[in-house]
Amino acid sequence: MFILPKLHLENVFACAQCGYCVKKCPTYYFLGWESASPRGKIFALKEFLGNGGKLDEQKLRKLGKPLSTRIFNCTLCGLCKEVCHTEIDVLEIWLKIREILYEHRLVPQGVIKLSEIIQQSKNIYMMDNVSRTDWVTYTSADVNFKDSAEVVYFVGCITSFSGRVQSIAQAFSSILNSMNEDWTLLKDEWCCGHPLVLSGGIKEARTFALHNVEMIESIGAKKVVTGCPGCYIALKHEYPKLLGKKPGFEVLHSTQLLNSYITSGKLAVPKADVKLTYHDPCELGRISGIIQEPRMVLQSITDTFIEPKYFGRESICCGSGGLLKLVNPYLADNLAQRRYEILTSTNADIIVSACPACVQTFTQTATTMQDGKRVIDISQLIAEQLSLI
Amino acid sequence: MNEVINKLGQEYVSVDLLEKLVYSHDLAVLPKFVKPLFDTTPVAIVRPKTTEHIAEIMRLANEYRIPVIPRGGATWGFGGTIPVKGGIILDLTGLNRIVHFDEKNGLLTVECGAVWEDIMHFLRETRWKLPTYPSSALSSTVGGWAATGGIGYGSLKYGPFLKNVVKATVVLPSGRIVVVDDKSNPNLSQLFGSEGILCIFADLTLKLIPKSDVEVPFMANFSNFANALMSAQEVLRLTSPHSLVLKAFGFVRTKDYVESDTYFFGCVDGNRYEVYKQYLTLDNIVNRYRGYLVPEDEARREWEERFYTLKIKKWGPSILGNEFIIPTHKILDMVKYCWQLGNQAHLDVEVEVMFISRYKALMFQLFLCDERKSLRYLMSAAITKKVLDAAIKAGGKPYGYGLWNFQFMERAEPEKKRELKRIKRMLDPWNVLNPGKMIEVRLRLGFPLPGKLYSMFMDGMWFLRRVM
Repeated sequence: MFILPKLHLENVFACAQCGYCVKKCPTYYFLGWESASPRGKIFALKEFLGNGGKLDEQKLRKLGKPLSTRIFNCTLCGLCKEVCHTEIDVLEIWLKIREILYEHRLVPQGVIKLSEIIQQSKNIYMMDNVSRTDWVTYTSADVNFKDSAEVVYFVGCITSFSGRVQSIAQAFSSILNSMNEDWTLLKDEWCCGHPLVLSGGIKEARTFALHNVEMIESIGAKKVVTGCPGCYIALKHEYPKLLGKKPGFEVLHSTQLLNSYITSGKLAVPKADVKLTYHDPCELGRISGIIQEPRMVLQSITDTFIEPKYFGRESICCGSGGLLKLVNPYLADNLAQRRYEILTSTNADIIVSACPACVQTFTQTATTMQDGKRVIDISQLIAEQLSLI
Repeated sequence: MNEVINKLGQEYVSVDLLEKLVYSHDLAVLPKFVKPLFDTTPVAIVRPKTTEHIAEIMRLANEYRIPVIPRGGATWGFGGTIPVKGGIILDLTGLNRIVHFDEKNGLLTVECGAVWEDIMHFLRETRWKLPTYPSSALSSTVGGWAATGGIGYGSLKYGPFLKNVVKATVVLPSGRIVVVDDKSNPNLSQLFGSEGILCIFADLTLKLIPKSDVEVPFMANFSNFANALMSAQEVLRLTSPHSLVLKAFGFVRTKDYVESDTYFFGCVDGNRYEVYKQYLTLDNIVNRYRGYLVPEDEARREWEERFYTLKIKKWGPSILGNEFIIPTHKILDMVKYCWQLGNQAHLDVEVEVMFISRYKALMFQLFLCDERKSLRYLMSAAITKKVLDAAIKAGGKPYGYGLWNFQFMERAEPEKKRELKRIKRMLDPWNVLNPGKMIEVRLRLGFPLPGKLYSMFMDGMWFLRRVM
C-alpha cells in the first residue's frame, strides 16, 4: 500500500471540473445554464478567491448579486456532494458562501426578511410564538407540558403552524402516549435556527441554539425526538458547532424511534393492504444517513412497498430545501412537480415521507395536479393503522 | 446579439457577466499569466434546442464574422472549448434527446448533447449495449467525444468510437446541415476528432452490440511496474478483454516511499464458457509475473469506479496532465521518464495506460501541483511539454491538440495537419468555427503564436522550474 501525502484538502481548488454533479443537480435540470450547476458555481467561487483563500472584495461587489442568485437557487439537497469526483464537501461550501453573502448583505431580499421574522417572532411564520402549541387544540391531541421528562418532542415550526401537516404532531404524540413514554413538549420552543443557518445568519442562529438547549436541559431530558429533518440536523449537527460543545441529550428523528419500537417488539402495527412508496427527504436520507429506518417501518406495515426512481442516497429534492421556495417559488414548484410525477409513476396508493416540508409540498402539488393522490408522513400512517387518530 | 435573440428567443441566449465567466474554461486550469494572451470571455452563450438553431447561429456568425465555439460537457482538458478571441459559445447540452431506436438492428440515433450515462440507462431495459464509451461517461456528451478522439472503455475489443458510428448529421461552418457517413464528402473519418473546427455534430447514429451473457471484472496487483506491464501484454496476446487499464502511482513527497504498487484492471465479456476460459488464462499469466488477482468483489468495485479517474486531484489540489497514444513497447520507457520528471520537479505522479490494441495504448499522466502558486504552476506546466516531446520521439502522438498542444501537431502528424488545413479553408473560409485551435493559435491581438516560440518559452519555464 502507498501512503498518500498529508495535505490539506482545499475544497474549492480540488474541484476537477469533471461535471459529474452538473447533470444530477435538480436546479440545473430546469435552468440548464452552467452557472446554475455546482461545477459552474465552484468555478465562479474560485475566481472570487485570491491566494490564501481570501475573498476578492472588488469582484464580490461587481458579481456578488448574480452569484447570490445562483447560490440561493439551490435546494442544498447534497446530491452534488454525493457524486463528487474528488469527494469535496460541496454542501459545506454552499453554506460557507451563504454565510459570506449574508455578512455582505448580498443575500436575496426574501432571505433577509425571513431572518428578521425569525429573530422577531421566534418562528418562520411571523406568528405569535405563544400560538405555537395551538395545534394541540385544533387536533385535540393529548400532550404533556412537564417540568421534567425523559423525552422531549421537538415539533418544529412547519408542523406546529402549518394546517396541512399539524396532524403529524397529533399522530406522533398519540404514538408516544401509546408507548407510555415519559415525554413532554417544550413550554417555549423556538425555531431550531436551521433556516437561519441556511440563510447564512450563523451568529443569529446561535441565540436560538442557546435557548432551545437551555430549555431541553432544564427538563433533564435524555432524548429529543423530532419529525422534521431540518430540526434534526440543527439539534444534532449544527448546535454542537454553534455552541462549541455537545448538548447533553441524544437526538433522534421520529423514524429512528418508531423503528426501535418495532424492532424491539414494543410496537406491533397491523399490516395494511395498501401499496406504498417512500420519498427520502434529502436532509434525512442523503445528508443524515437515515435511509433504512423508515423503510423498515414501512415494510412492517405493507407487503407492497415500491421504491421510486431515485431513492435512498440518490433521491431528488421535493423543491422545498435550501429556502428555494422562498427565493424562487416558480423553480421550487417545478422541482416538486418533477419529483411528484416520479413518485406517482410507481402507481402506489399512498406517497409516504418523513418530513413535514416534503409532505406539505407534495400535498400542495397533488392539489395542483388534481390527481387526488394521498401524501402523508410516516407517523400519520402508523397512528392511523393503530387507530390512534 | 439582438438578431440571435430575435431568431432563437431570449430564453436560449445569455449575456450575463457571471455566465460568461463560467463558460470561459474547460477541465484544465489556465495559468494566470497565460490568460491575458487570449480573449477567453465569450460575448454570449447560446443554448440551441434544435439543429436548425445551430445552423441559424452559424449563418449569422458568417454574416458578422463572429467566432462560434461549440461546447459539450466541457470534460476535455486541452482548451478545445475555451474562446481565444471572444465569440459565441454554443452550449449543446440541451440537445440531448434520443431521436430513434432501431431495436431490431441495434442502431440508436441520439442528439449530440446526450450524456453517455443517460444512454447506458436507456439501454438497460433492452438487449443492446454500447460497444465503447469514454472514461468521463458520467458527464461527457456523444458529440463531444466524436469531436475529440473517441477512445475509451471497450475500444480494445470493439474499436474506437468512429468504427461504431454509422452516420451523423452535422452542421458545417456555413450553416448547411448535411448527413455524413463513410462515403460522403466530407466523410465521417475526416470530421471525427476534428475538435470542433470543421463542423458541429448535431446527431449521431450509433451501432450497438448485443449484451453479453456475462461481464466479469478483474484486477491484478503487482509489486512493480515492469511485471505488471509484461503481464498485461501477455494478457492481450492470449485473451481478448473488453478493457485493460494499467495504473501506477509515484509519490515523491512522502519520505518513506520508494516505489508504489501497480495494478491493472478491466473486464472480460462474452459467453459464459469463453469468459471462464479467459479468466483462467488471466489468472495463470498474472501468477507467472508474480502478481495476484484480487477477489471478484474488489475487482468489481474498481471496475465500477472506472469513471473516477481524477480522484487523486484532491491531493493536489491541482493537476497537470496530458494524454497521448504510444506504441506498447515504449510504455515502460515513458513511465520511467514520467517518474524521473516527477522527481526532478518534486511532483507526485499518476500514470494510467489504457490499451487500445496489442500494439498501441492511450497513456494518461497526471502531475499533482498547486494552481494557487501561480508562477510555480506556470513553470510546472512545462512538464507536460517535456512528456509530449518524449512521447513523439518514441513514435507516439498527442490524443488531442486543442489550444495547449497545437505546437505538437506539425511534429506528430504533419500530413493530418495539412489535410485539416485544406478542409478548413474549404469549409470555413472566414474561420468562424472554433478558431485558434488545433492547427493554428492566434493571440488576443490577432498575431499567430509560433509553435517554436511557444516551445522555447516552455523549455525556459522548465529550466527555471528545475533550478528554483
